[in-house]
Amino acid sequence: MEQKREGERLLQSICSPLKCWSKMKGKPAVPHLPSTSIIHLLVDFQWKLGMAVSSDSCRSLKYPYVAVLLKVADHSGQVKSKSFEMTIPQFQNFYRQFKEIAAVIETV
Amino acid sequence: MAGELEGSKSLSGLLSGLAQEAFHGHQGITEELLRSQLYPEVSLEEFRPFLAKMRGILKSIASADMDFNQLEAFLTAQTKKQGGITSDQAAVISKFWKSHKTKIRESLMNQSRWDSGLRGLSWRIDGKSQSRHSAQIHTPVAIMELEIGKSGQESEFLCLEFDEVKVNQLLKKLSEVEESISTLMQPA
Repeated sequence: MEQKREGERLLQSICSPLKCWSKMKGKPAVPHLPSTSIIHLLVDFQWKLGMAVSSDSCRSLKYPYVAVLLKVADHSGQVKSKSFEMTIPQFQNFYRQFKEIAAVIETV
Repeated sequence: MAGELEGSKSLSGLLSGLAQEAFHGHQGITEELLRSQLYPEVSLEEFRPFLAKMRGILKSIASADMDFNQLEAFLTAQTKKQGGITSDQAAVISKFWKSHKTKIRESLMNQSRWDSGLRGLSWRIDGKSQSRHSAQIHTPVAIMELEIGKSGQESEFLCLEFDEVKVNQLLKKLSEVEESISTLMQPA
């Protein structure tokens, strides 16, 4: 994955694949970066903690979830929104991964 | 004929088939398929109301997300009803719910989520070691790939880049979410 941005940049993976690639539970350890992926910068991160109470297929849902709205910009400056939901365990995994990123990036 | 509808192995299979069709979105499980596979000696006319009764019971249990006390009370009431179920059938249904409850509940949760879900997450840290316009050396960036998708649809991959400042900013937001969750989960 080479993204030509301002100037030249030598992308150098510092960490070994095993240390750096971290997948959610159940997924293979091989890193996936499709060639069609454009790298975005995060412009805004909004969140909401919701509780699904009831639905037409289940009267007693009672599950909390985290809804996220991301605003991301590509290299041309175009901003788009992406939203998704996470269950609480998924969010906790997301948070844990991010703490790991913070710990590693600090040491580099 | 009624005796053939009481076999517990067949009923267990029937409940699995019903769950696949009603909760896990498996297409093509018709009443004729269930009858021919599990109750071949029973006529369709007799099988149909039996199937409807079992489907109704399973849906009631799943819809109320019954715990085991509620389940026992509910099934006992069903055994006492006119045209209800036998105590052997109640035992099979009880066993089925105990072992499939979590998976059925997960399917029901997925069915009620209409926004995209987070299917996968991977990341790596890159070192920016050279730049034409600036003397940036050893500026690490985190590249994160999010796999998101709606139920039954193909995944979309979103690649994000964070420098250390952005990582810490986002980490702060995530800790606010975590705090909200803790507050929500506290007993009243």
